[in-house]
Amino acid sequence: MSMFKDIPVEVGVIYEGERIRRNDMYVELGGPQVDKKFEIAQVKPMDQVEDGKVSIIGPDIKDLKEGGIYPLGILIEAAGAQLDAGLEGVIERRLHGYLNFVEGFMHLNQRYDIWMRLGKKSFQKGLNSFEILGKVIYRLFKNELSIIEKLQITFITDTAKIAELYPQALASYEARDAKARGLKDSEVDTFYGCVLCQSFAPSHVCVITPQRYSNCGAISWFDGKASASIDPKGPIFAIPRGDMINEEKGEFSGINEAAKKRSMGEVTKVWLYTAFDHPHTSCGCFEAVTFYIPEVDGFGIVQRNFKGATVNGLPFSTLADSTAGGRQIDGFHGMSLEYMRSSKFFAADGGWNRVVWVPKEVKEKVKDFIPKDIVDKIATEEDAKDIDGLREFLKAKNHPIVAKWVTEEVSTSATTEDDGAAAAVPVMTASTLPISAGGFRIILTDAKIYASKVVIKKDESKAEKR
Amino acid sequence: MTTKNIHIKLDELKTSSGLVKNLELSIGKVVNENYTEPMGPTPMPSVTALRDWDLKLLTKYKAFYMPDCDSCCLCTFGKCDLTAGKRGACGLTIEAQSARIVAIACSIGAACHSAHSRHLVHHLIEKYGHKYPLDVGGLNIKVEAPITRLVTGIKPETLGDLDDVLAYVEEQITQVLATAHTGQEANAMDFDSKAFHVGMCDHIGMEVGDIAQISAFNYPKADPEAPLVKLGIGSVDRTKPVIMCIGHNVVPSIGIIDYAKENKVDESLEIVGLCCTAHDITRYYTRGRIVGPISWELRFIRAGLADVVVLDEQCVRTDVADEAAKIGSPVIAASEKNCVGFKNRTNDSADAIADDLVSGRVAGVLILDPDKVGEVAVRVAMKVAPIRKRRNALPTVEEVIAAAKTCTSCNQCQRNCPQDYAIPVAMKTAATGDISKLTELYEFCMGCGRCEQACPQKIVIHSLIIKAGEKAMYSEDNLCRSGRGAVSDVEIRSVGGPIVLGEIPGIIAMVGCSNYPKGGKDVYDIAREFASRRYIVVLSGCSAMAAGSYRNSEGQTIYEEFPGGFEAGGVLNVGSCVANSHVAGAAIKVANIFAKRNLRGNYEEIADYIHNRLGAVGLAWGAYSQKAAAIAAGFWRLGVPVVVGPHGSKYRHALLGRKDKPENWNVIDARTGDIVNGGPAPESLFSVMETKEECIVQMAKLVMRPNDTWKGRAGKLSHYIDLHKRYMGVMPDDIPLFIRTAADIPITMKDEIQKVLDANNWKETPIPDPTLLPRMVRKMKE
Repeated sequence: MSMFKDIPVEVGVIYEGERIRRNDMYVELGGPQVDKKFEIAQVKPMDQVEDGKVSIIGPDIKDLKEGGIYPLGILIEAAGAQLDAGLEGVIERRLHGYLNFVEGFMHLNQRYDIWMRLGKKSFQKGLNSFEILGKVIYRLFKNELSIIEKLQITFITDTAKIAELYPQALASYEARDAKARGLKDSEVDTFYGCVLCQSFAPSHVCVITPQRYSNCGAISWFDGKASASIDPKGPIFAIPRGDMINEEKGEFSGINEAAKKRSMGEVTKVWLYTAFDHPHTSCGCFEAVTFYIPEVDGFGIVQRNFKGATVNGLPFSTLADSTAGGRQIDGFHGMSLEYMRSSKFFAADGGWNRVVWVPKEVKEKVKDFIPKDIVDKIATEEDAKDIDGLREFLKAKNHPIVAKWVTEEVSTSATTEDDGAAAAVPVMTASTLPISAGGFRIILTDAKIYASKVVIKKDESKAEKR
Repeated sequence: MTTKNIHIKLDELKTSSGLVKNLELSIGKVVNENYTEPMGPTPMPSVTALRDWDLKLLTKYKAFYMPDCDSCCLCTFGKCDLTAGKRGACGLTIEAQSARIVAIACSIGAACHSAHSRHLVHHLIEKYGHKYPLDVGGLNIKVEAPITRLVTGIKPETLGDLDDVLAYVEEQITQVLATAHTGQEANAMDFDSKAFHVGMCDHIGMEVGDIAQISAFNYPKADPEAPLVKLGIGSVDRTKPVIMCIGHNVVPSIGIIDYAKENKVDESLEIVGLCCTAHDITRYYTRGRIVGPISWELRFIRAGLADVVVLDEQCVRTDVADEAAKIGSPVIAASEKNCVGFKNRTNDSADAIADDLVSGRVAGVLILDPDKVGEVAVRVAMKVAPIRKRRNALPTVEEVIAAAKTCTSCNQCQRNCPQDYAIPVAMKTAATGDISKLTELYEFCMGCGRCEQACPQKIVIHSLIIKAGEKAMYSEDNLCRSGRGAVSDVEIRSVGGPIVLGEIPGIIAMVGCSNYPKGGKDVYDIAREFASRRYIVVLSGCSAMAAGSYRNSEGQTIYEEFPGGFEAGGVLNVGSCVANSHVAGAAIKVANIFAKRNLRGNYEEIADYIHNRLGAVGLAWGAYSQKAAAIAAGFWRLGVPVVVGPHGSKYRHALLGRKDKPENWNVIDARTGDIVNGGPAPESLFSVMETKEECIVQMAKLVMRPNDTWKGRAGKLSHYIDLHKRYMGVMPDDIPLFIRTAADIPITMKDEIQKVLDANNWKETPIPDPTLLPRMVRKMKE
């Protein structure tokens, strides 16, 4: 490979899944046995970055003892006219992929959790310096992210230096997260659209905003921004926000236009913050599905790996099937787990106050983002196995939705009583109306008769009697 | 599913709850109440209903005929010499004759699977009733029978529903077979279309059989963690009586297992299977053993390991009875399809039959009642084992050497060996007292026995090889994951993201028989190469056994090393031959799950979707049978490329695309209606590869599709280029054909590929929403 001719080991995506076992490792860097380790990307002014510089603070790989476990810090400093601090996370997460491309080098996790191993064979082949890893990372960054104009990389193994930088790194992650979480849809003028899924779901368009991740959970607004600026013609593209048509429901003119264009007119109106009327479309690979439960007027949520039936008796596969394929289905919504951490999470429908059932595994994951006063009032599969059980649970816990039931029950009954029976009852109001003919029993389930709604069962007992 | 014309007229109907006046109701068709999906254009297609689609594919992938035989001897005017453009007495050309033989072979294969399924369904309905519900994956599977729904429009819910499905298949097989009579179909391409048709029916036949047996026998249901079961001759406990079941139809084997369990003797004997019956035995009974593929029949019997041999159907050596007689093992034929000339004892008492077999008064019997087979087999095995005392037909090492000395090096054995092994050299060395070269042959030999038939000196060559490889044979103690059945809907949903984002480069389905050019290790190596690269590897039948027969440096079999789920780097065993249907089934479900395309009677649209989007490739490295031909034909019609090993050239034709003709690769962009060059992806529909290395490179290339996202294409290209360099020693020469935009270039290869593009005057092309069907072009809604 000409690009890595001077690198003693191979570099390619084929090494991505490679695992290095303890017996095969030359050294371990970071990992569970090391207290302080980090990798961080920082966007700097042009004049503070020396393009292509790789520095090593502390002992280099060749100075480390075989079989040893060492702390490591990696600092990526990037500069570019189009770069801003919002892209630091995107740049940083590339490290995981890039380092795994290196034959005999394994990289796991991210940020303060990094865990790397260098294999013996690759060390013997000559991968004995961070300088080499630095060159690989540098070339891949420059090749893939053309918006990075200058890049310098520092590897730190010196314990004192790591101790010094570690708290700064933690503070940066925290600040970045806070900023990302704090960023509101109303504060930006550009959203991003993704049609990667169209290769399999041709009519699906994902809208990615600061407060709404892609359905698959893989692409944040920052990721979208990076992709769109690198390849504006690519499958991830900028959507000018346009006018805010409906703040509560989350309707923006720019989104409507983009959805219409990219879905060939199938979808003309998208409401971002609701599961009703014009919900965001669902692709095929969403992480979880929200489903409306009319009996309690609340939402259930179920994630992909949930085994068994949900509280309404249907499993994930059936619920997912009722909304997938790039369609807008009233009351159903395929989504990312990350969306549940957003303050716009079904904001128009009451947000978490409308959620009545979530599997325990998911609840644990997003617990910190559920308002404290409601968190214990949302049932899991351990609390409610069916609708009756759910109703009891919600009542017992006094879930806010319960208050809504009372008013609605009253109004419903009032309507029935007020209307005159003759006027209110259509030609056929009975829930089932059996007609027998020729050994078949026909049950009409609706006043309007469609062939597709006619249920026909052969009634053998009757046929025999005749 | 009955179709009826119903007309109801009510002038007036009063009930307690309402009033109906002048109601007229006409219903042309009674629709299954739980299947609301609208019916597509081609439910239960006739032989020609999908011909247009076939011709599209056959024009894109023109058949290259490789007549294995250049004459025809099917009628009494013949045999007719068809060489050099000559036509037969009936007027047929060699191209049409070759295609005709393919259609006949596929019909035989489809008939085989479907008759197997018919027997299963009859048997299971008799045992459990028409209304016994089908369940292939509980809550995780919504589409229980994707192929059946797609082709017939039927959504089967009970065993009884499968009757109608099979009736359709049986009719179509008859129709296709009829066209092969002298003086019927005249055109080669039309014969190919008919092969596609019967191949499609074959997949239904397989699906019916497997969903019936999964439901009724409670096999693992789409379970990624189906149990690991013992595999290999060395895994059989030779101190216990051994019942050896050969074939594909598990029903008699289940009779044996049930009887043994009921009488609490199952722990005291070994119930082992060869070929696909083995898979199904372990799906029912985890103590069962998989001995190996068809090729292990002779070695297992000659080594004296079988105390009773039970034959069901398909891929059963027809000389088993003679072989078993040599070691004093009684034979029970248990299928109408293979009566072996034995007397039918179905209505005799088990006592009487067992006495006759144990005493040796008869060498074998025909019993068509699986429960009786169970009782007789178990009782006979227990009694015969102590008498036989592992009597075997293998020579001693001294006898091996003595026999080798009689070899005249006439080379007939090598000439007749399908794999062209250097048997004469091994014999010559053995004659000097060194049997190591015979031992080496054991590793690769596929046990057909043709060498012995060819030997003018009557040397029992295969027995010599087994003896020399005895140590290796008894160390064959490995693990296979029991057949898991279908791929669940949830698993498919989970891989959508990783496929679109390029993390899973493709799906490699390795199916079929064991006529390997150089042993089963190739299958293991290919599977492991792709699983390590995080492709999804799906295995079935004999290939699933071969893959489980080797271990990595840590001592793990492939099923321990890789997860059993339909996921990146997953290695799945779907099960026996009929479980192959789950491979096509998974492909079909992708269209339903991601694009919400209707399946019901909607074949062409779904095939178009799969062909243009789903990066799946089938490999039948050791394909030998007519069933394998039918399975391949079923994939062709779905537009899924199939690769076969060198012996696959005897299937008489390849379906090859011409990558040098750009106009052949045009697709319609469904978004715009524009004609766009989609590139040679996939480049062929049916290709023959000579070596493992060529095969790996070809498979990596064939997973590319016109719809690939740039991330997906970049990942696929990385592997293709890397494998090509690794195994062919050079960069592939067709890289520019697969790069649509600069983003398709793998980032780790950017410099060198850019040079190639520059040298080839490469131009950017759009990534289409690809289809071959003009009606799929979407119109902008106003």
